[in-house]
Amino acid sequence: MIVEISHFLTILATGLFLLVSYFSLFFKNTKYSSNLVSRTYSHGFLFLCASFLIYVWLAITDNFSVQYIASHSNSELPLFYKISSIWSAHEGSMFLWIVFLSVWGFIFNIRIKNEQILKSNTIGVISLILVGFLLFLLVTSNPFATILPVAPQNGADINPVLQDPALAIHPPTLYLGYVGFVIPFACAISFLINGDPEIKWEKLIRKWSVLAWVFLTVGITLGSWWAYYELGWGGYWFWDPVENVALMPWLAATAFIHSLSVSIKSSNLRIWTILLSISVFSLSLFGAFIVRSGIIDSVHAFANDPDRGLYLLGFISLIIITSISLFVARLSIIKSTGKIKRLSKESFISINNIFFGALIFSVMLGVTYPLFYEYIFDQKISVGAPFYNAIFIPMVVIACLFLFFSIDSKWSRRLNFNLLTSPIVMSVIMAITLTILVSYLFKTTNFAILLAMFSGFLIICRYLIELILSKKYINPFSLIAHAALGLLLISISFNSLLSTERALNIKINEFEEYRGFKIFFQDIKVVKNSNHDSIKALFVIEDQNGKVFNLSPEKRRYLTRGQITTETAIFITPFKDIYMTIGDQLDDGSWIVNLQINYLIRWIWISASLMAIAGLVLIMSRKNI
Amino acid sequence: MQLIFKILIITLPTSFILMFYFFLNENDSYPGANFVESNLPEFKLESLENNEILIKNSLGGDFILNVWASWCITCRVEHSYLMELSNDGIPIVGLNYKDERIDGIEWIKKYGNPYQLIIHDLKGSFAMDLGVTGAPETFLIHDGKIVAHYQGEVNKMIWNDVFMPIIEDRGIF
Repeated sequence: MIVEISHFLTILATGLFLLVSYFSLFFKNTKYSSNLVSRTYSHGFLFLCASFLIYVWLAITDNFSVQYIASHSNSELPLFYKISSIWSAHEGSMFLWIVFLSVWGFIFNIRIKNEQILKSNTIGVISLILVGFLLFLLVTSNPFATILPVAPQNGADINPVLQDPALAIHPPTLYLGYVGFVIPFACAISFLINGDPEIKWEKLIRKWSVLAWVFLTVGITLGSWWAYYELGWGGYWFWDPVENVALMPWLAATAFIHSLSVSIKSSNLRIWTILLSISVFSLSLFGAFIVRSGIIDSVHAFANDPDRGLYLLGFISLIIITSISLFVARLSIIKSTGKIKRLSKESFISINNIFFGALIFSVMLGVTYPLFYEYIFDQKISVGAPFYNAIFIPMVVIACLFLFFSIDSKWSRRLNFNLLTSPIVMSVIMAITLTILVSYLFKTTNFAILLAMFSGFLIICRYLIELILSKKYINPFSLIAHAALGLLLISISFNSLLSTERALNIKINEFEEYRGFKIFFQDIKVVKNSNHDSIKALFVIEDQNGKVFNLSPEKRRYLTRGQITTETAIFITPFKDIYMTIGDQLDDGSWIVNLQINYLIRWIWISASLMAIAGLVLIMSRKNI
Repeated sequence: MQLIFKILIITLPTSFILMFYFFLNENDSYPGANFVESNLPEFKLESLENNEILIKNSLGGDFILNVWASWCITCRVEHSYLMELSNDGIPIVGLNYKDERIDGIEWIKKYGNPYQLIIHDLKGSFAMDLGVTGAPETFLIHDGKIVAHYQGEVNKMIWNDVFMPIIEDRGIF
């Protein structure tokens, strides 16, 4: 019964959002109509929110007459996972996705005054998108479907690998990022509809875009961390198709934020900015399509359903084609004022846009090529790390060199290029010295790694020198974000240079030695828990300096689903992780144990978090840049 | 120059969209469709209700093999349709998958038994040889050979779309 109320409220909200878009896009923009739009939107939001809260309550109270809850939750689960089970599969996560979309719209609605000329249309565009997705939810993936007349006694349980705090937070954060870009997108469309080049729409959305970017960054980082310790993948990035479809909007968003700052400062690059705002949101939607259509096989992909894929593809292409056509129609109006001076900050950022565009295109190619190949030749192939490394390393290194020189550049003014100015020379010398030192100390001549390391050192040294020697003002967010990029490059380089792994065959009470670590297999036992049985091993490990610690990797079998998961054991030190997973037992009684020594892997996530912090610094700052 | 830009900017996303449309249509086969037509693997397991030993020859030549478990919600959803099939005279053999014997028997008592025989595969070894990924899954066996495989809930629609064409084509049952 209660689920029907929730269902009904969602339908009601859909109707209200449809009204909002009608009011805003077909009525003349008057004070009256903009008030109407704003209020109707708020009511629609209220209904949708109420519906979602009721749904959460149904999940908390174990209402297994709802099919979705029965298939993904269980009365034994802790409260936290009962709630997170809502976004553990397609229908519920789509619901959350839509609710988040409406939340962004609502905050925009209350924060921006009704007098703002673009507001009404922006809300209209957001509502139209909401209607499209709500219909998708209600028609093809209804989370409100019930099992009648007899509800099952208990639910089927949430997928065990999803029973993890990082994963419970990872999807919502990522979704907040994805859908957050609806604000710049809708604003850009509203600007295009209005067609008055004097309106400064870019200023309106600066902080919104950065906030969405922060969520996206944090979401991707959490996902990377989760795959490392929960899935037992033992690395930070796998170029999995679904990781890639999250990376593409991130790259586009990063370019967009840069481009936006130019458009705000000097009304240049406006075409780029609009195009990027359309791209970011389109790529976010494309991600939703890839994950939910079942077109690719991936750990993240939801169940295969061609109808859903077709609907999503249709809706997304409608959005993309309409917005691009609108853009093309208005192209002559939004031409930039004035030319970009050579070697000004604007010129560097436009080069940056080209780099990011190229990176996005290559990732897109990597994602689509296997599909293309399978379609033509009927064979499965996968595009993996070698392809992406070959493209990303040179491109990122060159981009870093441009970044290095752009630090001195000024808005609308030509950079007085003096190669021999002390900070430049000093940081180049420092970076070269450090790189040679690394090459000597770690006995490596791997050119790609050294090059990436060099560019990382270059950026960090440059900022350090600037901070210590010069009294010039540097944007704190630009400083943090770019230094984080340097740190990221250095961490990734060290990680791929030093990390090693080995599969050991070891019997109980045996010793093994690997890279100076003495490994003793002390114990293995079966532990029974409330919702799973596990085999828990105990290893005592002594490192080179005689420090002793325990690692106990586990294999679990979850009772309700019969699924087997591996629980990794990780010993964390500031610069390296000792990472262990346990595999199968062999016929001779020995166990396969996978041991990895991962260097600086935490620093990769720290760098990514620093980037997010940089975004937060920008949002908090009063300075209106 | 601007014209080229305009054309490029429209054709690029459009071509990607079209490409995905074709990929999507390519992908419209059902889960389990990529099975290999092969002989039913050998096995030696006990039956669920009485501990009678079952081997490959205990089964008939033509039948439906349905993988189920008492812990599987979708199997419950599927169950009523299996009862219907069984009442229509379709022979169904059950493969009770990774389930405690007592739970399986309880389940059958509670909801009814559509199966002629139920193989109890506690460790999932036979299911492993069959290439089962979870429950429910359904195989069509003809002359001791697997001729159809479906992963997920079998209902009237799936039965008519996936199994009926093969049954009519080969004159099974």
